[in-house]
Amino acid sequence: MRLRSLQRGSRIGAIAFAILTYLILIGLPTRLGAPAMSVLALLAALIFWLALRGGKSKQAFANRAPAPLFLTGTTAGFVAGLLTALLTAGFAQLLMSGVNVQPYLDKIVPMNMAALYGVMPGALVAGEAPAWGWLWQMAFVTLAGVGGALLVLIERALRQRTWSVGGATRWLAILLPFILLGFVIWLGNPAVTLGGNAKGTLRLLMAMAAIGSGLFALRAARPGREQRVLALLLFVGLACLPFTLDQFQNSVMGIVFIFVMMGLGLNIVVGFAGLLDLGYVAFFAIGAYVYAFLSAPFASPAFSSLLTSLGIPAAAPLTSFWLAIPITMVAAGVGGVLLGIPVLRLRGDYLAIVTLGFGEIIRLFMLNLSDLTNGPRGMLNIAPPYLFGYSFGNPRDIFILALLGAGVIAFTAHRLDGSRLGRAWIAMREDEDVAQATGVNLVRTKLLAFAIGALFAGLAGQLYAARQMNIFPDNFTLFVSVDTLSLVIVGGMGSIPGVVLGALALKGLPEVLRGVDEYRIVAFAALLVIMMIVRPEGILPSTRRRRELHSGNEPGAEVAPEPIRIGALTQEGGKA
Amino acid sequence: MALLEAKAVTKIFGGLVAVGGVDLTVEERTIASLIGPNGAGKTTLFNCLTGLYRPEEGDILFDGASLVGLRSDQIVALGMARTYQNIRLFGSMTAIENVLVGQHVRLRSTPLGAIFQSPGTRREEQRAEQYARELLAFVGLAGKGDMVARNLPYGDQRLLEVARALGSRPRLLLLDEPAAGMNPRETDAMMALIHRLRDELGITILLIEHDMKVVMSISDRVSVLDYGKKIAEGRPAEVRSDPRVIEAYLGASVLAGHND
Repeated sequence: MRLRSLQRGSRIGAIAFAILTYLILIGLPTRLGAPAMSVLALLAALIFWLALRGGKSKQAFANRAPAPLFLTGTTAGFVAGLLTALLTAGFAQLLMSGVNVQPYLDKIVPMNMAALYGVMPGALVAGEAPAWGWLWQMAFVTLAGVGGALLVLIERALRQRTWSVGGATRWLAILLPFILLGFVIWLGNPAVTLGGNAKGTLRLLMAMAAIGSGLFALRAARPGREQRVLALLLFVGLACLPFTLDQFQNSVMGIVFIFVMMGLGLNIVVGFAGLLDLGYVAFFAIGAYVYAFLSAPFASPAFSSLLTSLGIPAAAPLTSFWLAIPITMVAAGVGGVLLGIPVLRLRGDYLAIVTLGFGEIIRLFMLNLSDLTNGPRGMLNIAPPYLFGYSFGNPRDIFILALLGAGVIAFTAHRLDGSRLGRAWIAMREDEDVAQATGVNLVRTKLLAFAIGALFAGLAGQLYAARQMNIFPDNFTLFVSVDTLSLVIVGGMGSIPGVVLGALALKGLPEVLRGVDEYRIVAFAALLVIMMIVRPEGILPSTRRRRELHSGNEPGAEVAPEPIRIGALTQEGGKA
Repeated sequence: MALLEAKAVTKIFGGLVAVGGVDLTVEERTIASLIGPNGAGKTTLFNCLTGLYRPEEGDILFDGASLVGLRSDQIVALGMARTYQNIRLFGSMTAIENVLVGQHVRLRSTPLGAIFQSPGTRREEQRAEQYARELLAFVGLAGKGDMVARNLPYGDQRLLEVARALGSRPRLLLLDEPAAGMNPRETDAMMALIHRLRDELGITILLIEHDMKVVMSISDRVSVLDYGKKIAEGRPAEVRSDPRVIEAYLGASVLAGHND
C-alpha cells in the first residue's frame, strides 16, 4: 500500500514537473515577477489536486483514506519540486558561468531564473545565486503537493454534505445578481476610486458576473410565480446595464452578446441535434456579407456596376438595417440547407471535416471573388442601424440590439426545445437509426437544424457587420467557429443559459484578462482541460445532458441494475 | 387479405445470404412468431420489413402496398412499428418523452406553431401527452412517466419500448425477443400484454422469440427460419412435431419437455 502511494506520487510528480517546465520555458516567471514561485506553487497545487482526486464517482472519492493520500501528495510534490529545482539550478548555473543558452531556449534569461529564486536579476549574472534558492523552490512545490492532498479532503468534505436548496443559500443565489449590479452602478460613480487603474476592468468583470449569477439565480428560484417575478426583475436589471457601462465596456458586452446569438444557433445544431458543425462561421459570414451588399453596394465593384446598369443608384444603401434582417436571415438559412443536403448521410468525424471545409470555402470565396466582395480590401462603410434618423452605431446601442437579438433567439430556441421538432432532434442525437425507425424524418429534421442554426448566425453576422462598419474575409476564419463551439461546450451543450455563460467566460473574460495578454491563451487551454475533467457537462448544463454524463451517480437516482448492454449509446458530436 | 405479405425476400451481405427467398404472411389480428437458431436471419428479416435494410430481391406488401424502397419513417407512418432485441431507447429522455417521439408521425405541429405556441399546437401537445400517459398505463408503467429511460429497471425498459412503438398507433407491431432476459414473472406479464395488444387494441403481432414456452402458448402461427430459409410454417402444434424443425432447432429434449 505504501509502495503504491509512493509510485503513484512519483508519477504525478513527473507529470507536474513537465507542466511546470513548460510554464517556465514560455517565460511565465518573468511575467509574474516577484510572486512567481508562489503562483507556480499554487498552479502545482491545482494540478496535484486534479491528479489526486482521481476517479470522479462518489464512491471512489469517499473511500480514499487521508494517510495514503497525503503520502502520495507529498511524494508528488517532492518529486516535482526536486526536479524543477534541479532544472532551474542548472539553468542558473549555466547563466552564471556565461554560457549563452538563449538561442536555444529563448525565455531562459536572468530575469526568468531570478523570478524563481526571488532575487534581483543582476545577482544571477554577477554569479551570486542565493545558496539556498533551490532548496526554497523545492520546499514550495513540496508544500503544493501537501496542499493538493488537502484540497481533495476539503472537496470530499464538501461533497458529503448535502446542501439544502432552500434557506439562506437559495436566497443568496437569488439576490447575488442584484448585489453585483448595484456594485457595478456604484463603481460607475467617478468619485469611487476602488480598484485604481483597474476600476474599469473590475466593473466589466462585475457586470459579467452579474449576468452569470442571474442565470444561476433563475435556476435557484422555485418554478412558477417566484421564477417569473425574478425573470422580470433580472430583465429590468439587464436593461439598465448598457446605460451604466462606458464605451469600452459596452463594446466588449456587444461582442459577447453577438457571440451569444451565434452560440444559441450552434447550440441547436450541435447541442440539440448532435450534428458537429465546424464550419459554422460560414453562416455568420454570409449574414455579414449580405448585409454589406445591401447596405454598402458601392463597396462591391461588380454589384455596383450591375445596379447602375439596371438604373438603380448604388451610392446609397439599398435597404435599411431592419428591412435587411429577413433578407440576410433567408440567405443564411439557404446556406444552411445547401450545406445540409450533401452532409445528410455523414456522421460524427466525417460531418465535422466536411463542415470545416465548407466554412473555409465560404471564406476563400470572400477572399478571392474580388470583383464581388472587394477581396482582402473588404467591404467598407457599412451603415449602422437607423431608426427615425437616430443612429444605433455606438457601442451602447449595439449592445442593446445584441441583447434584444439574443433574447429573441433564446426564446425561439427554448420554444423549439420543448416541441415536437426538439424531441426529434434529441432522439436523432441519441440514436439516428432508431429515431428514423420510430418515425422521425431524418432529412427534414437535419435540414431544419442546419437551417435554423444558420438563420441565427446570419442575424448575428448582420449585427456584427453593422457594428464593425468594415468587414474583411479575415474576420471569418475557422477560429470563429472554434470559439463558438468552445463556448457552447464550456457552457453546457444543449443548455440555453449555458451558452450565455460560455460566451461570458470565453469572449468576455479574455478582455478582462488583457493584463496578462498572451498568457490568457495558456490559461484558457488549461481551464478548458480542467473543466472537461471536473465538469464535462459544462458550467450550466441542461438537465438532460447532466443525465447523460452522470447517469447513476446522482443522489436520488434510481439504483437501476445496468442491463447487459443497452444498444450503442451514440454520443457523436457530444464528445468533442 | 393478409395484412403483411413478404414474397421471396432476399438479403445478401457480401457473399452471405442472410435471408434467402423467404415468404411470410401475417393475417390481420393474429399473433405470428418467427423462430430459428441464432444467426438464422430473423432480425435481418425484421430489418428488411421495417425499412432498415433494403432487400435485394422480393417484395413486401403491407395492406396491399409495397414497402420496398420506402424509408423506415415512411413505413412507420403506414402503420408498422417495432421494438429491438437489445433495447434501444432514447436513454436520456424521460419515459413520456420516449412515447412522444413514438407519436412523432401522428403529430402535425410545425416549428412556427411551436415558436408562437399556436392554440392548435398547444392542444395537440396536451392530447399527445395525455395519450402517452395512457399508453404507459396500458403497458404497466403508470406513474413512471417522468423517470429517465436509462434509469428504469430492465423489464420496464422493455415495456417502454412497446409503449414507444404503440405511440405511432401501429396496425402491425414487430417485437424482437420481447421476453429476452426477463424472469418468469415478467415473462408472464409480457405474454399477457401481447394478448391485450391484440384483443383490446386490435393490433396484429409478429414476434421473434427464443423462449419456446412463450412461442408455443401465444402464437396463432409459427414460421421457422434456418440459414436464411424458411423450413416450416404452421400452427404451433404442427411446427413442434415437424421433423425438420426438431432437427434444425428444437432438439429432442425440448420436444420431450412439451409432451408431458
